[in-house]
Amino acid sequence: MEILKYIFKRILQTIPLLIIVSLISFFIIRLSPVDPLAELRLNPSVSKETLQRETERLGLDKPIIVQYGKWAKSFIKGDLGITANGEQVSAKLKERIPNTLLLTAIVIFLSWSVGVPLGILAAINWKSPLDRMLTVLTSIGMAIPSFFFAVLLLIFAVKTGWFPVGGLTSSNFLEMSFGEKILDISRHLVLPVTVLFTLSLAGLQRQMRANLLDVLDSDYVKFARAKGLSEFKVIFKHALRNAINPMITLLGFEFAGLLSGAALTEYVFQYPGLGRLILEAVLKSDINLVMASLMMGAIMLVLGNLIADILLIITDPRIRQKNGGQA
Amino acid sequence: MKRIFYIIFVLAVVIFITKACIKRDIPQNDSVRLRPKAKIMNVIYPADQKTVVINGIDYLQSQAPIGKFGGALVASTIGEGPKTFNPFNSKDNISSLMSDIMYDGLLSTHPVTGKPIPKLAKSFEIQNGTDYIIKLRHGVKWSDGKPITADDVVFTWRDIIFGGYGNTSIRDSVVIDGQLPEVYKIDDYTVKFVTPQPFAPFVTLLASPIAPKHIYQPAVRKGKAYFDTFLSTNADPKTFVTSGAFRLKEYVPAQRAVFERNPDYYLINTDNKQLPYLDKLVYLIVGDVNNEVLKFEGGELDVIGLQGANVARFKELEKHSDFTIYNIGPDTGTMYLSMNLNTRRNDKGDFYVDPVKQMWFQDKNFRTAVDYAIDRKNMVLNIANGLAQPLFTAESLNSIFLNKELKPYDRDLNKSRELLKKSGFYWDKNGKLYDKSGHRVEFNLITNAGNTEREAIGVMVKQDLEDLGMKVNFKPVEFNSLVNKLVSTLDWDMVIMGFTGSPLEPNGGKNVWLSDGTLHVYNMRLEKDKYSKRFGWEKRIDYLFIHGALATNFEDRKKFYDEYQEIIYNEKPMIYIYSPLRIYAIRNKFKNIFPSSLGGITYNIEEIYINREDK
Repeated sequence: MEILKYIFKRILQTIPLLIIVSLISFFIIRLSPVDPLAELRLNPSVSKETLQRETERLGLDKPIIVQYGKWAKSFIKGDLGITANGEQVSAKLKERIPNTLLLTAIVIFLSWSVGVPLGILAAINWKSPLDRMLTVLTSIGMAIPSFFFAVLLLIFAVKTGWFPVGGLTSSNFLEMSFGEKILDISRHLVLPVTVLFTLSLAGLQRQMRANLLDVLDSDYVKFARAKGLSEFKVIFKHALRNAINPMITLLGFEFAGLLSGAALTEYVFQYPGLGRLILEAVLKSDINLVMASLMMGAIMLVLGNLIADILLIITDPRIRQKNGGQA
Repeated sequence: MKRIFYIIFVLAVVIFITKACIKRDIPQNDSVRLRPKAKIMNVIYPADQKTVVINGIDYLQSQAPIGKFGGALVASTIGEGPKTFNPFNSKDNISSLMSDIMYDGLLSTHPVTGKPIPKLAKSFEIQNGTDYIIKLRHGVKWSDGKPITADDVVFTWRDIIFGGYGNTSIRDSVVIDGQLPEVYKIDDYTVKFVTPQPFAPFVTLLASPIAPKHIYQPAVRKGKAYFDTFLSTNADPKTFVTSGAFRLKEYVPAQRAVFERNPDYYLINTDNKQLPYLDKLVYLIVGDVNNEVLKFEGGELDVIGLQGANVARFKELEKHSDFTIYNIGPDTGTMYLSMNLNTRRNDKGDFYVDPVKQMWFQDKNFRTAVDYAIDRKNMVLNIANGLAQPLFTAESLNSIFLNKELKPYDRDLNKSRELLKKSGFYWDKNGKLYDKSGHRVEFNLITNAGNTEREAIGVMVKQDLEDLGMKVNFKPVEFNSLVNKLVSTLDWDMVIMGFTGSPLEPNGGKNVWLSDGTLHVYNMRLEKDKYSKRFGWEKRIDYLFIHGALATNFEDRKKFYDEYQEIIYNEKPMIYIYSPLRIYAIRNKFKNIFPSSLGGITYNIEEIYINREDK
């Protein structure tokens, strides 16, 4: 019951936040000198009448505040509006969201299931050759810029012919059997996943290692050891539980990154995800599309933090107590 | 001790790896070689297509060699893919490309001569310059089996195009003195168009797609707002009713559009078998040029347009690869340098252009001096890698209306200096240029930031003009603010821009050349200045464009357009720089490739086939 109340309170708090985010982003986009019709204006075969009609259709002839009001009204009703080309924004997002989710979910799953154990391993074997080797590897992982790594892998794909050059499916995808389809998608996913995985693995591994080292150095761990508890019990029962707290906060951010994390890699690999769609929308000042994606990002971030906080309440009795005390 | 060993070991590894890289990338004995030149190919084209009647059906017969059926061709488009599959809504090249594949027009263009030739129409006839009588083919069907008749043509033109649905650029370009042409059905297979006055550009517009009435009528009835979303990219391709050689099978956003063969197309080969040969036509949607090149090298693409440094590299690869490079001649785009000839004031009463600068820009000697100071050949060699042709005319080099009398000339600084002297300009002892009232000649040159080609041209123009003692402040500005400067605030001195033109129809450029046109950049007149004073030669160009459109036969029209090009060539409101060459690479297994300057390389996609033995 307490926890439900807490969630409700948190959701109420996000409303003014979302309003502020939407206001700022709307005004920044509209006040920037990007003219959605610039391309048309410089086309010799486009007439004055066409330009006039386009201006009216996109609502550019009205003051910004009126444009914002119109957008906000339909947004609250759940209507994301139409893109500059007359397509439904929601339909446009719907066709890209599964692709991006597929990519980021795999990456997050892999990097957590590999990064956290590696971090623990490194912390337990502190200053051993294994720890040193992992440190070097993760340093390399963090130092390589993702787009550069992506381009290298693309060249690798071209030279060896082992992997397709970007995209998500082959051109004869429609005629494949179910098994072939899965194989085809996996082949396309290998390279982008490798890039994103290397990057986030490095960060996670180091974070986990540092957290655990901190805890291992604390008095109660020394005490537990002195008490004669087995090393296994000390680490997995006492130390790990305390070391994992900052990771949960991190997980909240990772959740927000689910839909927005990989724009650069998506672009290099021509991956049909949200990142590419939004990049183009920003360049063309396609207001409804940009706003929808920004709001989505904001909501995901708020939601991610909320989930992390709830998880923290579950894992950390101290927070539970404090919340209970307040209510 | 151990530590030192570690460090030495790591260093050694790094050094060996770097060394290995260097050795591979830069061959040591690589002497400077001349770039292999891509010659424009001599292509022997097949005879023209003709109509043959078999079992009461008016087929169009291809005269190209007979090929084999089957296979697929994978091409690409750069960008985010089509915005719509409704041919009447398309406002961008990719959407138009996709609808041109799916929908045939009444006429099309001869790939070599540029003359209109029948397509969906069996024949056409123009009477008095105003009446266009078009006979349709008997027995030609939509992809759902319904016949294509005069009703579809009348509906397309009267209800959709003249009704102002979707993209109205066709409608806007056929309005003559506020009047639209009329379209009548004479019988089921005959249609008559009547333009209010003779209007020659109309015949090229007849290549616009024809829509199936039974599919589009319900959409038209629902109003313009609905029509704008009709057949969007979310629509199910199975519901499309089309007439072209290929129909859409699958569209995967941001990845590809797959077209499949129309089994009942009206084009046949000399063996009387129905074309196209290919089973599938795939367009991959790639985000940028680099990815496109990688995909071609990786074998995922069959045909690619090449630019700049890639051409030299591909030319080397060609020898031991499975593709051939074709040079199909200059592009339709025109790159130009223009000065602001505006002498008017803005709302606040200030001049758009500083009066001192106005004096220079209005001076024909000054403009000519600038023109002669520009080293086009150098730019072609250094910026376009030699893959361009210097340009001196307003019409592009492959235009059928190009005035061939206007001769190219080389850079001539002495001539420039002479002309400047004649107008009272003088140099101080440091070689700096001053005008006759003692003002230092200094102005801004702008172009759109991010376009590396134009930025490079800007740098070279700046250097060339500084040889004359002018001070040029070159500032690339963001595309949107550049457009804003050119069409509304008008506060610029000199600009480098490019326009795309049509090689078939100069009238398409009327918005640039008419003195009150929406893109009359060099002397832009805003709404309030509509009736301001014009130069004599501006008035003459107005006259030439209006009468050029009214004249009916090609030879008469060409006289008008020759004269307009001559005026621009002499008066130099726009100084043209160069046209890039279009270079394509296509895999050798594809046969019946007849590249043409007007058509490109895959314009005859129905006739192209795959010869499997020839890899």
